[in-house]
Amino acid sequence: MSIALLPRMSRITPWSVAKWTLAICIAIVAAFPIWWMFNVVFADPGQPVSLNPRLYPTSFSSGISNIQRVLTETGYLRAYYVSVAYTILTIAGVLLVSSMAAFEFALFDFPGKRILFAVVMLSLMVPMAATLIPTYLLVARLGWLNTMQGLVLPGLASAFGLFMLTQFMKSIPREMLEAARLDGASHFQLYWHVALPLSRTALVTLAILTFMKTWGNFIWPLVVSQKPEMFTVSQVVSLFNSPLSHTTVDVVMTANLLAAVPPLIFFLIFQRRIVEGIASTGSKG
Amino acid sequence: MSSLEITNAHKNYGAVEVLKDICLDVSSGEFVVFVGPSGCGKSTLLRMIAGLEEISGGEIRLDGQVINDTDPARRGVAMVFQSYALYPHMTVAENMGFTLKLSRAPKREITEKVDQAARILQLEKLLDRKPGQLSGGQKQRVAIGRAIVREPKVFLFDEPLSNLDAELRIQMRAELALLHKRLGSTMIYVTHDQVEAMTLADKMVVMNGGVIQQVGRPLDLYDDPDNMFVAGFVGTPRMNFLEAEVAGLNAGTVEARLSGSDSGLRFAHGGAGLSVGQKVTLGIRPEHIALSDHGGSATFPLSIGFVEELGESTCVHGEIPGGARVTVLSHGARFADDRQVHTCFDPAKVLVFDQQGRRVRSG
Amino acid sequence: MRLTKSLPNFMMLTPFMLLFGAFFLYPILSGFGYSFFDWDGIHEPAFVGLKNYEMILNARSSRIAATNLLTYVMITVPLGVSVAFGLALLVDHFQGFWARFFRSVYFVPVVMPLFLAATIWRWIYAPNFGVLNLILGWFGFENVRFLTDPDVMLYSLIGVDVWVSAGFNMVILLAGLKDIPRHYYEAARLDGANKLQEIRYVTLPMIRPVMIFVVTYSFISALQVFDIPWLLTGSSFLDYGGRRDALLFPVMDMMGRGFGRLGFGQAAAYGFLLTLVIVAITATIFAFQRKKENG
Repeated sequence: MSIALLPRMSRITPWSVAKWTLAICIAIVAAFPIWWMFNVVFADPGQPVSLNPRLYPTSFSSGISNIQRVLTETGYLRAYYVSVAYTILTIAGVLLVSSMAAFEFALFDFPGKRILFAVVMLSLMVPMAATLIPTYLLVARLGWLNTMQGLVLPGLASAFGLFMLTQFMKSIPREMLEAARLDGASHFQLYWHVALPLSRTALVTLAILTFMKTWGNFIWPLVVSQKPEMFTVSQVVSLFNSPLSHTTVDVVMTANLLAAVPPLIFFLIFQRRIVEGIASTGSKG
Repeated sequence: MSSLEITNAHKNYGAVEVLKDICLDVSSGEFVVFVGPSGCGKSTLLRMIAGLEEISGGEIRLDGQVINDTDPARRGVAMVFQSYALYPHMTVAENMGFTLKLSRAPKREITEKVDQAARILQLEKLLDRKPGQLSGGQKQRVAIGRAIVREPKVFLFDEPLSNLDAELRIQMRAELALLHKRLGSTMIYVTHDQVEAMTLADKMVVMNGGVIQQVGRPLDLYDDPDNMFVAGFVGTPRMNFLEAEVAGLNAGTVEARLSGSDSGLRFAHGGAGLSVGQKVTLGIRPEHIALSDHGGSATFPLSIGFVEELGESTCVHGEIPGGARVTVLSHGARFADDRQVHTCFDPAKVLVFDQQGRRVRSG
Repeated sequence: MRLTKSLPNFMMLTPFMLLFGAFFLYPILSGFGYSFFDWDGIHEPAFVGLKNYEMILNARSSRIAATNLLTYVMITVPLGVSVAFGLALLVDHFQGFWARFFRSVYFVPVVMPLFLAATIWRWIYAPNFGVLNLILGWFGFENVRFLTDPDVMLYSLIGVDVWVSAGFNMVILLAGLKDIPRHYYEAARLDGANKLQEIRYVTLPMIRPVMIFVVTYSFISALQVFDIPWLLTGSSFLDYGGRRDALLFPVMDMMGRGFGRLGFGQAAAYGFLLTLVIVAITATIFAFQRKKENG
């Protein structure tokens, strides 16, 4: 097995040497910042950078104590809960709401369908900057600042999710739905028992993309969650960043590392789905 | 007793009329086949019976009840689709029991009915598989099983065998015939394959251009078609059609001259509805033409174009004087291409059609 | 009659359409309305006509932001897309395990949330003890003030930006490369094309639609750049944009006016102007593409 993975040594040409050197150098550039973040956490903070430039991890125990410190002495753990709840609720909401609408747009005819769909698709062209301030003002007027619903609800009507699921559901055979109708399925049951299970792959892809977008969302929580109880991970990290905070690099990087763990795990598990999901957005757009 | 009655049904999509004035009675327990070329409206008619297409006008009654506006699930019909339409995320058992699950039947009843249907179709060993793991024939059986579980008044089949390969199709055809015998229920079956229709049907409904051309037992349609369409559609190889002109009317026989030649042909016909000089089309099936090496009276020379030798029969294609193409089906004999032989038409088997393609019966 | 028949359809659409109406359509319309008012979010709004727009167009900060943005977009979009295309070609020249390995490694930065990427780089760029300066020091370079020297700051931002986005665009372009039927290359080789000519005459024309998507998408996101420059500079509504506003961009300016100075009317006007510009640019790219396809 491992032999098969090695490049065939018989074909060393200047071209292949250049190719491999380039590929490895770029790989180092791509991975180094993350590797470095890891090393900073797992290094003895007492050692000056000039002696230990954090090119590899040096102290496992300081890493653990860093993590403990960040979780207990700062508001980080609470922010983590908020971020997890925000992300899970958003994923569930986006999947439910956009799959219900996609089901109708993809498989049925009704008056006004084309116009509604066109309006939603046009919204893909409108930048976030256009809606940010007025949405904030609306949420404020509803009294939803510093609440979970204020964080989650405005992000649920995802035009992108609707577009992606509609494209996918168009491939569900009509006969499948007719068979279910003859079997006695109601309109909702068609959606629940037939369309949803058949769209599993697309739903998983959308869930992953929504996860990455929500977990990394910076600007919306920054605007809506102004009280420390409702801070998300991104805001705590940004607070550590501000010049007044006097936070040391090992604390910042520990917070960063903990924030990076969920996306990294997701990436390791769903690598193919993520890559294919993003690749397919390109070919469809 | 008539179980399904269709009266004056029609269907249009906007200005396009796809079914015109359909009237049809289906008796209880009958196996009815709708057959016709693609686009003739046979599937639309079936889907109207199922409730998947709206009826633009007319009435459909099932057991005396008008079902025009009844929800498809409540009509008491079950349908087997061309693509099988099995739910890929459910096992065979779940597929078959889905309708019962939706109607909140108790678990025990579901298992019982599914097992019973599985026994009939020999699917017992496949109940836990997913459709993706089944062969085409097995999928087809599951689709039928799903229909059986519903215990419908009428089974509807929409070209169910067209996705199978030739050998399996013949096998499933036989199984379907057996199943019909065993269940004794009313079945309506749509196909474009007239062989399938001939072998399965108690009653065959030939359709073309949204109109029912003729209804009857398969052999009646074969022997006694109402028009040129039915005559040409039913039977392979196709019936030969020859343009001709009526030359003389005698007692019990008619004499006709083939267009483009001096050759005359005399055949049995009462003469009713025919007059001398009238242009007609004569139809004769390939098996009703005999071939011989010797010419004689009432024979035409045939220049052979090509020969299809199928073993038990030989199909000879050629031209007779006047340029009409003729196909002859002969049994046993062997013929070489490019040879002249003589054809002899069986005078009792010649059918006459008028200019509109309507059959002119003997009287 | 038809409407009652479609009732189940509309019921399923309701959740999406309600949310879409409330949090997209209404904000857009109300934002347009707010843009004509002076409003701090607390007192009664006062109608001021086009004054908000005037102030934005005349303000020094918005001019700086616009200039910064222009320079930034002109560099980061071509650079980012070229790097991504190079990476895609490189990965495409590996097979099996190594192709997947390098693709994954190059993609890892994409998985990182932007706020994380910015924070990590903020410390990598740090003066004296920052690891980048440390490494430059080994080679005898002077200490570079990546985040405080106004002549360098923009390029520091672009570095992070390319690091983050290259993998994303690479994956899309790579899928585009894989979709090019092999026989085009075989035909080109039979015609005597070398590797560079293959790229010039087969790869580039065939990948054009995907390339246009990548460029358009990069453009739209670059025009709205916020997270990274915000976090590379002061990271708060009171302090953003960095020294001499070298990393001040329109969305940051808008946020600062809205939340830092409580000028929500102005911020709404700012958002509306930005939208106009972005939609205009997107429409131009699309129109240009259409014309090229038809002509």
